[in-house]
Amino acid sequence: MNIGFHFEKIHKEEITHTQIVRYAGASGDFNPIHTVVPFGEKAGLGGVIVHGMMIMGFIGQAIDTWFASNDLVKFSTRFRTITRPGESITVSGLIVGETEHLWVCKAEAVNEHGEIKASAHFEVRK
Amino acid sequence: MNNQYEEMIGMKLEPFTYKVELSKVRELALAIDKNQPSLQKKDDIPPTFPTVIDYWGSPYSIFDFLGLNLEKTLHGEQEFEYFGKINVGDDITVHGEIEDTYSKSAMNFIVIKQRFVNQEGEIVVIGRSTLIEKQ
Repeated sequence: MNIGFHFEKIHKEEITHTQIVRYAGASGDFNPIHTVVPFGEKAGLGGVIVHGMMIMGFIGQAIDTWFASNDLVKFSTRFRTITRPGESITVSGLIVGETEHLWVCKAEAVNEHGEIKASAHFEVRK
Repeated sequence: MNNQYEEMIGMKLEPFTYKVELSKVRELALAIDKNQPSLQKKDDIPPTFPTVIDYWGSPYSIFDFLGLNLEKTLHGEQEFEYFGKINVGDDITVHGEIEDTYSKSAMNFIVIKQRFVNQEGEIVVIGRSTLIEKQ
């Protein structure tokens, strides 16, 4: 591996309402903005939105396929636009820098139209 | 700009302790990908698992505590620094504090720092969540 190396993209299945409910139960985040359609409509979101942490979870899943999970030392994600059920996410990533002991990497989650949902920065032990 | 949260900077949140159970680890992995093979190894705790410890372990809602409007608040950013490993069976105690708050572009930003400490007293993860509330 070297700077500029692109990891194999991870293509996720379309996000369903069921998956959102499942994620709410798993994570314990029952904010109705994610689970109750009338609440999401009242909030002006046109329905429910996907937990940002599910998208970060997708990126985390990708990192776990790219590296051994014990080697991850830092992982941050900025949520750029909201995601709705029915969207399909692809996670890509690349190495952007290195130190003596670490690979410094970036990752992005985009939908099927190339809209960026989240951008991540992570560092992994060599 | 009005930032009614400014006086909360430095405020400590009540610590709480959560036992890491294999079923919750598997449940999170399957919520992220229902096709993931069943996780058998302790090594396979997803890197976003601290969020489960936070939501399931916390005896209070951070939204209620801060008085945030659920309809107007989004998760803007999340960071984890990993210093050690979280294992199934660990008792993880979470020490949270309001690290920073600021306002810009008619939005309030609230940064919550959490130290995840295992039963040996070792900090295993430090998390930072940035919540964004539209004014």
